[in-house]
Amino acid sequence: MTQLEIEGKVFNVDGDGFLVNPQLWNEEIAALFAKHDGTGQLNEKHWAIINFIRNHWLENDMAPMVRKICQNTGLRLKEIYTLFPMGPAKGACKIAGLPKPDGCV
Amino acid sequence: MAGEKVIIMAKNNSLTEKQKKALKLLKSRLNGRLLTHLNSCVHCGLCGESCHYYLATKNKNFIPGKKVDIVSSIYQRYHTLAGKVAPRLYGAKDFNDKTVEELIDIVFGACSMCGRCSVHCSIGVDVPYIVRTARSMLVEMELVSPGLQSTVDAAINTGNNMGIPRDEFVDTLEWLSEDLEMEVEDEDASIPLDKKGVDILYTLNPREPKFFPLSISAIAKIYYAAKENWTLSTNVYDVTNYAYFSGDDKGAKELTERLCDEMSKLEAKTLVLAECGHGYRAIRWEGPNWIERPYPFKVISVVELIGDYIRSCRIKLDPSLNKLPVTLHDPCNMVRGGGVIEVQRFVIKNAVENFIEMMPNRANNFCCGGGGGQLAMSEYAERRIKSGKIKADQIRKTGAKIVATPCHNCIDQLMELNKEYQLGVEIKTIGELVADALVLEEKSN
Amino acid sequence: MTIFHWILLAGFVICLLSCLYHFFMALPAGKDIDYATPDAKTRQAVVYSFTKAMSPKKKETAFMHLPTYTAGIFYHLGTFLSLFLVIFIFFNVSFPTWLAYSIIVFLAFTSICGLSILIKRMTSSLLKNLSNPDDYFSNILVTGFQIITAIYLLLNTGLEYYFIITTILFLYLPIGKLRHTIYFFTARLHLGIFYGRRGTWPVKK
Repeated sequence: MTQLEIEGKVFNVDGDGFLVNPQLWNEEIAALFAKHDGTGQLNEKHWAIINFIRNHWLENDMAPMVRKICQNTGLRLKEIYTLFPMGPAKGACKIAGLPKPDGCV
Repeated sequence: MAGEKVIIMAKNNSLTEKQKKALKLLKSRLNGRLLTHLNSCVHCGLCGESCHYYLATKNKNFIPGKKVDIVSSIYQRYHTLAGKVAPRLYGAKDFNDKTVEELIDIVFGACSMCGRCSVHCSIGVDVPYIVRTARSMLVEMELVSPGLQSTVDAAINTGNNMGIPRDEFVDTLEWLSEDLEMEVEDEDASIPLDKKGVDILYTLNPREPKFFPLSISAIAKIYYAAKENWTLSTNVYDVTNYAYFSGDDKGAKELTERLCDEMSKLEAKTLVLAECGHGYRAIRWEGPNWIERPYPFKVISVVELIGDYIRSCRIKLDPSLNKLPVTLHDPCNMVRGGGVIEVQRFVIKNAVENFIEMMPNRANNFCCGGGGGQLAMSEYAERRIKSGKIKADQIRKTGAKIVATPCHNCIDQLMELNKEYQLGVEIKTIGELVADALVLEEKSN
Repeated sequence: MTIFHWILLAGFVICLLSCLYHFFMALPAGKDIDYATPDAKTRQAVVYSFTKAMSPKKKETAFMHLPTYTAGIFYHLGTFLSLFLVIFIFFNVSFPTWLAYSIIVFLAFTSICGLSILIKRMTSSLLKNLSNPDDYFSNILVTGFQIITAIYLLLNTGLEYYFIITTILFLYLPIGKLRHTIYFFTARLHLGIFYGRRGTWPVKK
């Protein structure tokens, strides 16, 4: 377990920077994580993605397919990569407070 | 003789059941090849500079010779007379909690099994082979790194390493199929699912449908241009085999058998592997040994297939469509460990205007740092990023704006290195570069 | 034949038999069948493994460490020469003076190479961390063997000491790291087969 300090606040994260206890997540944490990983100030589109990912995880215990993110937010695929330069997994899912997905991510 | 037996019994009594299982596995693997590699290191210590872990950290315990030594020292202790009689003289070590802890840290946490050290070893010790054997011992002890184990479990239990439900997979592929139809403006263009009697069964890295589907679209477009008779299976499509990384031969065998079954079910002729380094090595080279028989079908990488398309003029490329300078990262398992070395260069040179080789390259290339299952092991993430500095420096020196690599695992690591070391490059698959350079035939109506 | 001749002969036979045992156990056999269809011929790769792959041009452990590599090569040449000379000394064949002196000078140089490698092992923190007593002892034994060979050729006395050291070397060879006399060859063979089948060595077109 690693400790991540952003603007004086300390979070318990795994080696990849994902929240160790995803239940602790809130919107303030999301904003701080986004600032920290270079995503920057979160706009409406960011929040639409983050909230959808978060709710999908709460309901299904897994991150949604990027296809579903597009479908539910009305955003185009390439926009998602622009909004989250670290990609849907290490970018969006991390900011949405999900645990690290398995696989090559 | 009797005296020796007593010593051994006394020693074995102090072993836990799990440790005994691990030692039993080691014994069962002792063939000529393993005996050779466990016995041949001369501790010359010249291998450090060939290893990205040592180069980036200067940690004395991370030189390949030391990694071999920890496994070899256990072997010496239980399988050689010298190690049984005078362990201290030969550096033979008891297999106990402390040794196990060291073993985990080294074989999971400090080696990506890239094999670069073996090519340069004074003797020719196959280091990744020894490291994987040690990982197999830890499988017996149920001590595989949790992230790696859960990825293997997901693949075994759900059919793909990210646990994607089948209906969501199908939904994504149908969406991509519609996109393709629009892009090439041809109603007949599609991504065929579960089609029988095809020439090619294609596979995917689950991260493609889940998060990065542009690489699927790229390959589908290439297949369309080549008028290929191909399909994707909606049941067995995962090109990865994390059991290769974890050292779990039983799991690895199960995953290989599933691909074989699907090939015969769909009566496909050739299994084409997506751009995945370890997937290529695991399926092309290791799989037949896990299932203990040769495949009745051909296995090739999609990069080799694209090479064939270009050579036989089945697709036409315009390199001027890719103007930015491109460099290539050679994935260890596909290049050094897989023998796919020249074809990706041939393909890239046909697809881009300006190709710059990274130095060193081919079988001498450095690992990106994400190999060996490192991406799945969060506990070693800091070391992974640190060890990737060697790759980041290599990339920076080329001055390229695009880094192409035929491996999704490398892509993810390279994306992180891009951010961490501020390289300002774009990371792409070979398929994406080729798709961008494709010149489609004018429709004749 | 003196008693020392007999002891040396016995040591040699034991050494030879143990080495043969190690060698045959380490060869590719039954359990090593590779079911994957090869991409290239392995014969070519095995030749490559023993030749070009070993050249300083190809190997970092050579070209990045030229002084150590060169010392190592000469040290090994000195060992091979000394082993070869065992036959002549055993049968009491004498050499012309110029040849004897040439050999002495060469062995003196190769012993210095051996000693320099030993000193490196004793002083480099990286090597100390990697070494066990066997590594030091093996070097001392082999360097000692070269030195005593040179001394015997120079002074023509002390045959007993020469025979004893040589016998110890023969008996110790199959036990410690000196086993690489055998395993070096099987390692190159196995690695050659591995990279050969896959078309990595030499690179398939």
